[in-house]
Order: sequence, then structure tokens, then C-alpha cells
Amino acid sequence: MVTLAGRRPAIVYSVNRRNQGLLIGLAFLLSISLTAVFAFRAGRHARHMRFESESIRPWMSVPFIAHTHHVPADPLFEAIGLPPHPHDRRPLRRIAHDENRPVSELISRLEQAIAAARPPGVEPATPGRAGPR
Amino acid sequence: MNEQLLAALSQYGPPALCGISAIAAVGLPLPMTLLLIVAGSLVSQGVMNFWWAIALASAGSIAGDVAGYVLGRWGGSAVLLRLTRLLSRRSGLDRAQKQAEKWGGAGVFLSRWLVTPLGPWINLASGTIRYPWPRFLLWDALGETLGAVLFISVGRLFSDRVLALAALLGDTAWALVALAAAVFLAWQLLMWARR
Repeated sequence: MVTLAGRRPAIVYSVNRRNQGLLIGLAFLLSISLTAVFAFRAGRHARHMRFESESIRPWMSVPFIAHTHHVPADPLFEAIGLPPHPHDRRPLRRIAHDENRPVSELISRLEQAIAAARPPGVEPATPGRAGPR
Repeated sequence: MNEQLLAALSQYGPPALCGISAIAAVGLPLPMTLLLIVAGSLVSQGVMNFWWAIALASAGSIAGDVAGYVLGRWGGSAVLLRLTRLLSRRSGLDRAQKQAEKWGGAGVFLSRWLVTPLGPWINLASGTIRYPWPRFLLWDALGETLGAVLFISVGRLFSDRVLALAALLGDTAWALVALAAAVFLAWQLLMWARR
């Protein structure tokens, strides 16, 4: 009895110890995998940053879009039928609401105006090439 | 939600940044890194003043952090004390408090600008374990100001690539956290194998 009782904790300890090692090993593999996934994603964003222009989002104002695409703001305002105004910081969503027009239409007109406003010989940056910096 | 916050920042500038920073610091999952980077881009465009942006972003964040700390200290402490009384583990709580006093400063400081998603939890935990508040405030103010200077400056520098930059910084921070965990676990595995 004494021997049996004495052995039981040793067996439990050995199983627990094995489980503990397994758990640590699994957690280690998981953390290595997560490191690889996040590093890959970071690399992809770095490439995007270097070679592609920022996409136009509804929260952006016209001067902000002009700045991120390196074009003057005036032709962009004109493209969406607004008088050029450097202090008009309204987001596209708000402009669309005020003008009773869909945001997608404004974005499409701005994209065309950006392509037209680029200096001759400069290709559009999205996708795959860097715009003028 | 994020689009609306960015629109508010773009339209109303530093006051919006201050309010959003405070709400994010209390614990709402808002994209603060992206907002600070966009603020940097707005600084570069002459819409915002650099120092105002840093001052208001830091002030908002500190106010939110203090609110989280107070919440933990009053609400969390009561729950914790009841639990320790129930489990009779007062010595464990004392040990945790001692450990927090030793390492808490680094935790508070790093979670302000490096591992920002942990920030609100660290605020609550610091209050709950009664980390000394003058030290909490000191590390918090230093970390938040460093974070604001860092992200607004980076946004100012790469003002035409804000979305990709925010995503890049977010993923890099998580890659570093996962790598730190991997190093720690490798060491644990080594210790386990030697036993």
C-alpha cells in the first residue's frame, strides 16, 4: 500500500510534466507562427507603402486626397463640381450627403481627375508603380 | 465607426483628437495609432499645429488612462479583496502588488506606445493592485507623450502613405510581441528539458 501510494504521485507528476512540456511546445509553435504571419503582413504593407498610392476613402477630404496623390486640389474640386476652396475640409461622405450624390460617384470622378492631373509621362501609381513623391 | 472617427479628425482637428484619445484610453477599441498618424499627415498639410496635436492627444490619453486606473482602484480592488478573503490568499495578493511595484512602471510605459492594445487593461490592473498613483501618472505621461510624438512625427514624415504606414506599424508591433513570447517560451522549454 505504501509503495503504491508512494508511486501514484510520481506517475501523476510524470504525466503532468509531459503535458506541461507539450503545452509549452505548442505555445512556442503558435508564437513562432504568429511572428511569421505578422512579419509577412508587415512586409506586404511595406511593399504597398513603397509602390502603391493610397486608395481614396470616404473619410478623406479633397485637400487630403490631393496631398496623398501629389496633385493640386483645385482640379479635384472642379471634377466633383465644387468651387475650389483650400479650407473646405469636409470628408467626401459629408460632401456626398450635402450634394445628394453617391460617394462612389465622387470617388470615381476624383480618380479620373487625379489621372488627368498627373504630369505627362508619369504613370498612375495604383497598382504596382510608385507615384511621384 | 473608424471612418467616422477619421472624418471627425479630418474636419475638426485637435479637439476631436483629444476626445477620441480619451475614449480609446478608457478601453474602447479605437484605431489610435492610425488616428495619430493621420494627425501627423494633417500637420504636414498645415491643417494642425504639431505641438497642439501632441499636447491634446497626450492630454486626452492621460485623462482616459487615469479614469481607467481610478475605475480599477475603486471597482476592481473591492472585487479582488472579496476574492482574496474568499480564497484566503492574502499573501498572493501582496506578492502580486510587490511584483507590480517592481515591474509596473515598465509595463505602463511600454503599453502607452509599443503594445497599445494592452494599455486599458494595464490601467485597470494598476488600479486594482493599487500601484502607487504618482508613479503611474509619471510613467503614463512619459509613455503617452512619447507615443504621440512618435506616431505624429512618423505620420508627418510619410504623410502621403498613412493607411499603409498604420497597418505596417500595427503588424510590426504584434510581430515583436509574438517574437518576445516565442523567446520566453523557448527559454521555458529549455528549463523544462533540463529538469
